[in-house]
Amino acid sequence: MQSLTKTFRVQPRDFVKAGEASLKIQRLLKDIGFDPTLIRRVAVCAYESEMNVVMYGGEGKILLEVSAEKISVITDDDGPGIEDIEKALQEGYSTAPPEYREMGFGAGMGLPNIKKNADLFEIRSGKGDGTTLVMSFEVRQ
Amino acid sequence: MIEKLPSATEQQVNYVRIDEDKCNGCVLCMKVCPTKAIRVRDNHKAVIVGVCIDCGECVKVCPRGAVEPIINLTSDFEEAPYKVVSPSTAIYAQFGPDVMPNDVLLALKKMGFDYVHDQSYTSEMFNVAIELYVKENHEHGHSPWPLISPVCPVVVRLIRYRYPSLLKHLPPLATPREIVAREAKKRLSQKHGCSQDVIKVIHVTPCAAKMICIREPFFLERSYLDAAVGISSIHEEIIRNLKDLEEDTVLHHSGGIGLGWGMSGGEIAGLHMNCLAVSGLSETIKYLEQIEMGLLTDIEYVEFRMCTEGCIGGPLTVVDKYRAKHRLQTLVRLFGAERRVKYEYVKNLYDKGWFLAEREVEGFPSERSARDIKAEIRRRNQIEKILEHLPRKECGLCGSPDCETFAEDVVDGRSSLDKCVFLDAKGKEKGLQ
Repeated sequence: MQSLTKTFRVQPRDFVKAGEASLKIQRLLKDIGFDPTLIRRVAVCAYESEMNVVMYGGEGKILLEVSAEKISVITDDDGPGIEDIEKALQEGYSTAPPEYREMGFGAGMGLPNIKKNADLFEIRSGKGDGTTLVMSFEVRQ
Repeated sequence: MIEKLPSATEQQVNYVRIDEDKCNGCVLCMKVCPTKAIRVRDNHKAVIVGVCIDCGECVKVCPRGAVEPIINLTSDFEEAPYKVVSPSTAIYAQFGPDVMPNDVLLALKKMGFDYVHDQSYTSEMFNVAIELYVKENHEHGHSPWPLISPVCPVVVRLIRYRYPSLLKHLPPLATPREIVAREAKKRLSQKHGCSQDVIKVIHVTPCAAKMICIREPFFLERSYLDAAVGISSIHEEIIRNLKDLEEDTVLHHSGGIGLGWGMSGGEIAGLHMNCLAVSGLSETIKYLEQIEMGLLTDIEYVEFRMCTEGCIGGPLTVVDKYRAKHRLQTLVRLFGAERRVKYEYVKNLYDKGWFLAEREVEGFPSERSARDIKAEIRRRNQIEKILEHLPRKECGLCGSPDCETFAEDVVDGRSSLDKCVFLDAKGKEKGLQ
């Protein structure tokens, strides 16, 4: 099965470049010619996970793997990790400091939004261990 | 320059022309093109190979004046029994501090037109229509948020070509320039008891892009406008006509809101809602991509203008955009930053379908969507492989606008690796494997 893989770097706290990796992913998927609704779902997940790395994570990267059957996005960073994953998955729960909220982030919708949009979603994290999000999407012809 | 419009049957029509004698094969126009439609070929001349959305960026950037917009004045306009002129509101920014909008309209009329119709008043009516549509949309949810202004033809063309998933964001309303022309034809045919076909309307435009809407009107079966002429082509004549204006007919009726439409933020200035204005090519693309990603849903309406600072930044204007903006701001203050249209009157027309588009806007059939995903992934892999060997200097010396497009051109057989001046022989060999 022919697949395409690409890695995108994400710099923590770099709000100028924040969102660029997900934009590149969106452009690439569009260029290949996937269904716009599918692209939007992938882009939303990529964006939310990218913003999480920018706001809370450490040095990070997004790995994109694309085939005619499946798209997967793996976001990985070596930041402080998530202490209580269950809480983090609750809508409205956020550890965002006030300055992020002022920028319009930190509504506690990131992970719930990812969960809603991805077909498969897995989160691996622990205090001090960094965070890995695995999101995959089926391509229905 | 006034030219005959290319026939509608011609498949690939470009709205600009590159003069081979003036072009020295520099890379400026190729690099600025948002659809990457320009290449510099071996004979060191720029050529248009892809889809032109008529943004006019290449016209603005060319230092040698080699890229010319194609402006139309259809040949049958001159012989039309009734000639109507309807200028873009950007025209009011093109003259000195003593020249009022009404003077501009009177001077225009003296050029030999039977009637002159202002657009600023209709623009204010359009503002009301947008408010009504937004209100309705909160109830029926026909269009996803944010709504995107359908006014700038280049933005609509860009959406049709590159962001077709955003077509649903365009409210299905006819633009002020079309409504003005439609109503002029309706009224004058009744007045003179003649067919609407003998009334021809010419639009005075700040950008060549208005040609698109005449040839390919996006919300209408057929454009009500018959021709267009650039502001810059008739500016001097208007100035000559401004002397000894004898007539005291009132042709301009709008408030400051309608007069400010030519500048970025002018359209939304009259809207009582959560809206924002974005202008300029790169910013427009950035925001369209964000909307495509599902962001900005807290905004109700976005005014996009492809030209920086709005229509006053169009390639066919005369006065620099910042001076023009100053002029419009002065006019807005003078006429009062409010609408003169009556809300109830417009609502009545709106309810009757006065503003409604005649048909939906469609995306462009693209050759890409026909390809299958597997083949496309294979192609993408080939492109990535070549890209690994490219220097990423983005110089454009190969004749393609950037390294990535060059790699695409190589894979698609439109260029060859030996065109890259930085790639050594080994890299060329590797990349070709």
